[in-house]
Amino acid sequence: MSALHELSIAEAGRKLRDGSVSSKELTKDALARIEAINPKIDAFITITADRAMADAEAADKAFAGGVDHGPMQGVPYALKDIYDTAGIRSTCHSKLREHNVPEHDSVVAQKFAAQGAVLLGKVGTHEFAIGGPSFDLPFPPARNPWNTEHITGGSSSGSGAAVAAGLVRMAMGSDTGGSIRGPAAYCGAVGLKPTYGLVSRRGVFPLSYALDHCGPLSWSVEDTAITMDVIAGYDPLDPASANVPKPDFRGGLDKGVKGLRLGVPRNLFANVTGASVEALAALDAAIATLVDLGAIVEDITLPDFDQFSICGRVILLSEAYAVHEQDFKTRPLDFGLFTYLRMTLGAFLTAADVTQAFRMRRELTVAVNTQLLKYDALITANSLVPAPAFANVLPSNLTSIPVQTMPFNVTGNPAMSMPAGFTSSGLPLSMQIVGRAFDEPTVLRVGAAFERATGLTAKRPVLAS
Amino acid sequence: MSAPDDAALAIEFNVFASRAGLAIPPDRRDVVFAAFKEMRGMLPLLRQPRTAANEPANCFDILSVTRSLQA
Repeated sequence: MSALHELSIAEAGRKLRDGSVSSKELTKDALARIEAINPKIDAFITITADRAMADAEAADKAFAGGVDHGPMQGVPYALKDIYDTAGIRSTCHSKLREHNVPEHDSVVAQKFAAQGAVLLGKVGTHEFAIGGPSFDLPFPPARNPWNTEHITGGSSSGSGAAVAAGLVRMAMGSDTGGSIRGPAAYCGAVGLKPTYGLVSRRGVFPLSYALDHCGPLSWSVEDTAITMDVIAGYDPLDPASANVPKPDFRGGLDKGVKGLRLGVPRNLFANVTGASVEALAALDAAIATLVDLGAIVEDITLPDFDQFSICGRVILLSEAYAVHEQDFKTRPLDFGLFTYLRMTLGAFLTAADVTQAFRMRRELTVAVNTQLLKYDALITANSLVPAPAFANVLPSNLTSIPVQTMPFNVTGNPAMSMPAGFTSSGLPLSMQIVGRAFDEPTVLRVGAAFERATGLTAKRPVLAS
Repeated sequence: MSAPDDAALAIEFNVFASRAGLAIPPDRRDVVFAAFKEMRGMLPLLRQPRTAANEPANCFDILSVTRSLQA
């Protein structure tokens, strides 16, 4: 029998429903594990033990009474600390909001509460989802459970660390330029940036209105699908929410990839300075696995990565600076150094730069979707290196780490990172699966087939065992 | 278009900072300037020939964003 923390959401759900485990048992186990392991990795910055036990007790009572609100009932989870939680501090990992206690839950938190999920606490982030990993903030940066001298990636740093270490089965992240998929890649988790507009962002602190997405990091593709089923849905009060039918996220998980047409935009990642040989080899091996499973895989060409990169950076930095403009003028040194260095650039852009970026965004979106008229999904690189060591992440090289997540923030397409292998030193490597807008089911279907074939998502770091 | 030299970029940098009301601490100026220079060097990529079809839009439905190709 698996240890309690090794149960997936699906497995835990089955045991909760057949009575072989209670939510209180799951929650006590998780809290004990957090107490033992969190000091090594600094994933959680607020642990809501009393709230968690109350949630668990309510869930157990519901099960006992024959009430079942859905697959997350009784299942512990965590929220990135940019999600508002009523009565629980929501800091954005920043001195500027260190004592902020919201009056209302974010929509995502409301959805989990409505299902009877168990909130274990708030996990760390790069400051305001952009600045990190930093040691000059009120809370330390999360550390990578595969090697604590290495970073987790960001900005959903605590989410990646908490999931990889087995502190929680699923933690919510956010993704504006890769902030779900980066930590998923570096921590060996599954991270899905859904289609822009599919998950409400109301009550989540904004980084860039045009690029912000909410999504989960979890242990498995199935748990990702289960989570999406909880959080997806139209929110008329989020201006960017799309009024579309909710997809059947779990319906295609067992269908395999035989006959699916997959495009590989090799020009994005084939000749990138600083790319790791092991990362490229893992991606090629993953593509070969999909071919073996019956997918029809062809190389395609997309616009150069630099075009996606500058387009996304200009939009992100201009909007982020606009959000924080007043604080930059009045209390700039209250931001951490990395936040300051990155976000200040938003003040150095012209209106024409921003308008041209939005025009370019349209062009790039058409280019990607034109390919997706011919292909069911795309397979491409995520990070082209494994998680760097803290010692190698310096203010002077913030933009030189080759991570290729931004293209699908620019285009809004769903994109999922999942483990594709490991380095010789034991750090996770990754790939990215990209789908048509609102076609998360195909992305999950491809991921599930790959997961079954390789078993890579089942591998856990030694720290957590 | 040739890239401006560091002296010209420094003038541009100071104008932007002044207009934004930012007093950049001396110990941070070099690294902010280096990042500005790197970003500034990529901005010409934004300025390619485009038509009215590239009007900014925020609709990502596949049929919608490719409708000009199907018309």
